[in-house]
Amino acid sequence: MMLWILRLLIVLAVFAATPTPDITAQARGGPLTFSFANTANAAGLTAITVYGGTETNKYLLETTGCGVAVLDIDGDGWLDLFIVNGTVLGGFPAGQEPVGHLYRNRRDGTYEDVTAKSGIVQTGWGQAACSGDYDNDGHDDLFVTAWGQNHLYRGRGDGTFIDVSDAAGLVTKKARWGAGCAFVDYDRDGYLDLFAANYIDFDLASAPLPESGLCRYKGIPVACGPPGLTGGKNVLYRNTGKGTFEDVSDRTGITKSSGTYGLGVSTLDFNDDGWVDLYVANDSNPSALYINQQDGTFKDVAVEAGCAYSQDGKPQAGMGVAVGDYDRNGTVDLFKTNFAGDTSTLYANGGKGYCDDRTFAAGIGLNTRWLGWGVGFVDLDNDGWLDLFIVNGHVYPEVERVKTEAGYKQRKVVYRNLGNGRFEDVSERLGPPVTTPAAGRGAAFADLDNDGDIDVVVNNVHAAPDLFTLASPRDAHWLTLKLVGTTSNRSAIGARIKLVSASGSQVQEVRGGGSYYSQNDLRPHFGLGKDAVVDRVDVRWPNGREERWIAPKVDQILTLTEGSGAAIGSDKP
Amino acid sequence: MVAAIVVSPQARQAAPVSDRSAVLSEARALINADQPAAAIAKLTPLDAPGRSDVALLLGVAHYHANDHQRAIDYLAPIADTLPSGSVERREAVQVLGLSYFLAGRFADAVPRLEATREWAADNVELGYVLGQAYIQVGKADRARQTFARMFGVPDSSAAAHLLCAQMMIRLEAEALAQAELTRALEMDARLPQVHALLGQIALFRGRLDEAVSLTEGEIAINPGNAMAFYQLGDARVRQGKTDDGIAALQKSIWLNPFYSAPYIVLGKAYMQKDQLATAEGMLDRAIEYDPNNRSAHYVLGQLLQRLGRTDEAKREFGIAERLQAQPGR
Repeated sequence: MMLWILRLLIVLAVFAATPTPDITAQARGGPLTFSFANTANAAGLTAITVYGGTETNKYLLETTGCGVAVLDIDGDGWLDLFIVNGTVLGGFPAGQEPVGHLYRNRRDGTYEDVTAKSGIVQTGWGQAACSGDYDNDGHDDLFVTAWGQNHLYRGRGDGTFIDVSDAAGLVTKKARWGAGCAFVDYDRDGYLDLFAANYIDFDLASAPLPESGLCRYKGIPVACGPPGLTGGKNVLYRNTGKGTFEDVSDRTGITKSSGTYGLGVSTLDFNDDGWVDLYVANDSNPSALYINQQDGTFKDVAVEAGCAYSQDGKPQAGMGVAVGDYDRNGTVDLFKTNFAGDTSTLYANGGKGYCDDRTFAAGIGLNTRWLGWGVGFVDLDNDGWLDLFIVNGHVYPEVERVKTEAGYKQRKVVYRNLGNGRFEDVSERLGPPVTTPAAGRGAAFADLDNDGDIDVVVNNVHAAPDLFTLASPRDAHWLTLKLVGTTSNRSAIGARIKLVSASGSQVQEVRGGGSYYSQNDLRPHFGLGKDAVVDRVDVRWPNGREERWIAPKVDQILTLTEGSGAAIGSDKP
Repeated sequence: MVAAIVVSPQARQAAPVSDRSAVLSEARALINADQPAAAIAKLTPLDAPGRSDVALLLGVAHYHANDHQRAIDYLAPIADTLPSGSVERREAVQVLGLSYFLAGRFADAVPRLEATREWAADNVELGYVLGQAYIQVGKADRARQTFARMFGVPDSSAAAHLLCAQMMIRLEAEALAQAELTRALEMDARLPQVHALLGQIALFRGRLDEAVSLTEGEIAINPGNAMAFYQLGDARVRQGKTDDGIAALQKSIWLNPFYSAPYIVLGKAYMQKDQLATAEGMLDRAIEYDPNNRSAHYVLGQLLQRLGRTDEAKREFGIAERLQAQPGR
């Protein structure tokens, strides 16, 4: 979130010369076959997220908002929700602090607030949440970052948790501004490690105030930063396999990144070598692409790989990150949300080790009014092509004074993938709730009602969450996979899945983190369109093992357990 | 400090007749000598309810100390209580208006700045600030009238709409600017720069076909406009019409060979065409004319990486990153 906004009026752009093959291209302006309904209130997601000032903010701390994690707290196969909460500068009387809310999925479209009996007491300046089974006991665990102290909650599998931050060795001596996070098994030892970005080395006592006159946005004094403030160092904790973690940030090269001010985080396998990598959307700095060197270390190659800057080499105010193979070329691409006055950025991965900035070529460059946060590559119409859902909202409540700005509360943006390398903005056509303004921040993407399409939960500042329940076309087939690691980490984070059907192949991954400050569904989802038959599903597990399942039935959530498929590749007997 | 004080405080040179007035005079002198902190220190012991003369000077001193909120706190309660038409009232209203403006309270600033304009009608700095405030509160007509007066063109002329649009673009208010430019175009289809600015906004918004059409319109009016050819080339390259883009960029260079931006876009265009040696030549030329151009070094780094010259690529990325750290690059 740059104070001095990048101007794009004289952008030097590049347009990728090679168009994507047109397999099932949709016509621009063609009928929309999906719709959303905001069911949050009826579903019982009513707790307000409190975060910073409502009219003005003194510090950048009051701007970042909170994330959302989806996880299965009781092992019933229905995803539950954890909505992170924040606070205000003046604090609250003891016992009246806002708390992060844990909602149990009742399997009927409604949720029960089980916070009080869950054992999770998340107060203070909560930021991101991510989930995974770090102790391989079959129960999802939860990690929540904060300005102050991050917390690890071990799931007992019955909807209750125990705060193991201290016992796990995650308590830090001084307050840090924990930001986006992800569980990731970087060393392939079968245990999930833990990555957390750190945004700013922030101290209320020394941070400049808007009254200093140093920090302005369109003439308005605003909260200062991040330029001028000391950036945080990202942290990687290695899971010892004994219930504890050790800080390996320095020795793994995580602290040697080009940029700082990390926010959104996602795992991915950028170079398709079977070793999980990490991408961090950095604010006002080059973003980081940590490539796993397969020896317990990482190297940030984002600058030379062309995934760090805008296409003319300028840093952008990165917030959220989505990963997905939008062009179906077999490699995972990146999408990053940025500040108002700038475009979001679409980095296409051509499989040669570098990104091709296709923001304008793909038709994404037309929206520069919105300030983006949560984002997901999701197949909204189950046609096999990943669409984009973007959550927006300004950082400064003060923009309400300026008539020329889009406002503090902003609408969402939805791009439909036309299947030819281009996207179409269909936001207006979707109408409310997509066009209803809100101060959105984190967003998680998951099939919450297990109906074969991806719903969206958004954590809004000073408001209750939104739950966008998706209605996708009934005649479009789908397949969702729940992967269970046995020698790999049980959550299978880092697994890569290739699905082959009549219309071609699709690639998905099980990813830690994602979007902005959030955890998406760990079950890879494939839209199949008219393909009623899947030829095969190939899984490369996080430990490198490869297996195949032939002709699984479509329109189901299928559990694939490591070791139960037919070995392929180098694992073939 | 956005604007100079329109009403000179030198008008208040009354001889001290008491200790208090002596302190006030000393404080005024300190403010005039750009020592507002010292003035505040002198004045603060005299501050008391009902002492509008002290409050006025404290407000002015805080304004000069860039503490606009404190200036507002002192001046807002007294501005309308001072004798109508007095120098003190004018000063209070004017500094209050500027303080509101600098505090981002544009709606509050407008009436105070308008009142100031009544006795400083042709002050250019005041006009600029007031015009900006009008834009920020969405009063485009009044902004246009204000800028027209500043620039000496008729209020309702195409030129006034153009000038107002340019000010709006400076404030990143492209939607308002587009409306002004469209009106200018309706009034005078051959007014230079209007097509180019509309094309620039279209390019910024990613409406590439429109950007091309408008920029070609500018070139039809002014075929010697190198920037317009550059903009056209940029839009064409983004459209994927690389050869058309290259042709436009070449014309831009022939008209102005010393501007680096067209060479950078040419470098990218030739990279798209896999003519990597030519691309490298273009980027080298861009760096020759503008050695501190971050984009040129960054794109050259990408090119060298593709050529497998990784050490040279690293050097260029390193230069780009160093330039990144320098403000204004």
